[in-house]
Amino acid sequence: MTTKPRLRETGAAAKRPISITAVVDCVGALASHSVHGHLYLYDTNKAGGSTGFGTEELRTKVRRGDQLLWNVLALECEAFVSIDDIVIDRDVIEPERKIYPGTDVAYWIGTVKKDDVQSVPYQIKFKVGTRTDPITTTLSPALFG
Amino acid sequence: MPQQLAVIVLVDVGNALESQTLNGNTYLFDNMKLQGSQNQGTGDLVTAINGSYWQDGSQASEQVLNWLPYSLGSIPPTVPRGYEAERARQTDEQALAELEDLAVKSSAAGVDAAAELNRIRQSAGRRVKTTRRTRGRLSGQKVLDVTGKVVSNGGTEAHSYPAPVITDIYGQAVDEKVIYPAEYGSPDLVTDGWYWSATVDTSRPGTYAYTMRIQLHRLVQQGGEPLWEPVNLTCESRIRVITEPKRNAFTKAGLGLLPIPPRPFS
Amino acid sequence: MNPKVNIVVVVDVIGALSDGTLRNGNLCMIDDGSLASTGQGTPELVTVVKPGQVVTWSALAVDLQTPVEIKSITFLGPDADGGHEAEQAPPAAQAPVPHGQDGHADERHNPELDVWSGVVPYLAPGVAHPYRLEVQMYEGEYSTLHIESPALMCL
Repeated sequence: MTTKPRLRETGAAAKRPISITAVVDCVGALASHSVHGHLYLYDTNKAGGSTGFGTEELRTKVRRGDQLLWNVLALECEAFVSIDDIVIDRDVIEPERKIYPGTDVAYWIGTVKKDDVQSVPYQIKFKVGTRTDPITTTLSPALFG
Repeated sequence: MPQQLAVIVLVDVGNALESQTLNGNTYLFDNMKLQGSQNQGTGDLVTAINGSYWQDGSQASEQVLNWLPYSLGSIPPTVPRGYEAERARQTDEQALAELEDLAVKSSAAGVDAAAELNRIRQSAGRRVKTTRRTRGRLSGQKVLDVTGKVVSNGGTEAHSYPAPVITDIYGQAVDEKVIYPAEYGSPDLVTDGWYWSATVDTSRPGTYAYTMRIQLHRLVQQGGEPLWEPVNLTCESRIRVITEPKRNAFTKAGLGLLPIPPRPFS
Repeated sequence: MNPKVNIVVVVDVIGALSDGTLRNGNLCMIDDGSLASTGQGTPELVTVVKPGQVVTWSALAVDLQTPVEIKSITFLGPDADGGHEAEQAPPAAQAPVPHGQDGHADERHNPELDVWSGVVPYLAPGVAHPYRLEVQMYEGEYSTLHIESPALMCL
């Protein structure tokens, strides 16, 4: 195809944020009041060097200026889950809660402020089902430079 | 009564398109971890399917598998497709109301048709249940970025990938007639509701592989117009079928008297 | 008279686990008995039966994709009258479920194989015979909840 060169997805220079997706087994989390063993984390920066895919200790490779976007998926179609808060060193990134336009579904987004960060662990708080108290990660995912 | 078995196929679409393979870019889950499924959240899921049979050997419960493909890092499946989809939904609602009116008026259409239409309308009106099951076929939708904003100037770098589409399920488990997969329509006119589902013959225990043909979409420019170009790739998974006899839970053997302690007359 | 009576326990699993109770509309019971059962659609179902009938209980999740099973059915003696319905699970008396975080125990009890079914013995007529119904939703410390409000009764 002649258009091929234009079709290449740009890699490092992509303007698309790095998405970090939490997959939560909501029933498992509700039955144990913990997301330990019921949480799987992924991001879209595998090619950039992220590690720990599918674990609770995902390590996302970041650089200054990268936009990070967190969202969440329920393993059970009918279950509700959302991110209630992201607790992280705010000198590195200040994630903000936003809403997909025209919906009530939230995501969290922020921009990495520092270069060469060593390892910045963080916690995610989830709202699960109709439970009012959020459930916080026990093992910590992290950002690293 | 058994639960419905669901296999979630989560694809890192960007990486898969870049590397032209689903290997290492697909993460599979099911809701059968408790029943013995292994390797949740990896590309190597083995789905446990636990059948059961009565004392006469007949199959006691029918197990049904459903496949739900999602795109990693895209707008999540809980979200309708932005403004365009919202508008499509409204017009669909309107059209359905009119159809229902027609069904009621038409002497040929019975009460059942109206009830069915009403059911369809209810499904179409409920965002959460219908949009999660399947994605639309992309026609007439606008290109959105991962935060749900419309990408207007044809800049393709920031767009959100549409959900993958399963176009076939085949291989050993199908050849050996252990699963009978087919694409089904669901009463959901907004997302063009199609999904893959299969019944399982649990009478032959064993581990069986199957292959999913999955269509991804790459955004290309053709004559200045953005266009979703389909890219077909395949990915394999496995099921492990076991089957065990049913047994009475009170006696741990056959049917007996209920263990009810005597109570005095009131 | 139909020789069989089916009792179906319908559970909103996510609601029950979120609230930590089978009350609040998270559980309802219905039977298909031909006699004058009361409390249909509530946790207070009193199923009217006759000696010799076969009663079968089954559990069903409202949303079909979440696991719910009957863990135990225990008929209460006279002492348990007006029994307190503590919302916490009592010590597991029935087949223990492996508690592994990852659920990778080799030998697993498959509750789906259990048929909760039995023949009604001779019962004092006009007296409700309450039972404790314990349901298990997935596994974990808070996965088991019970009620003591349903009953069988002969007329």
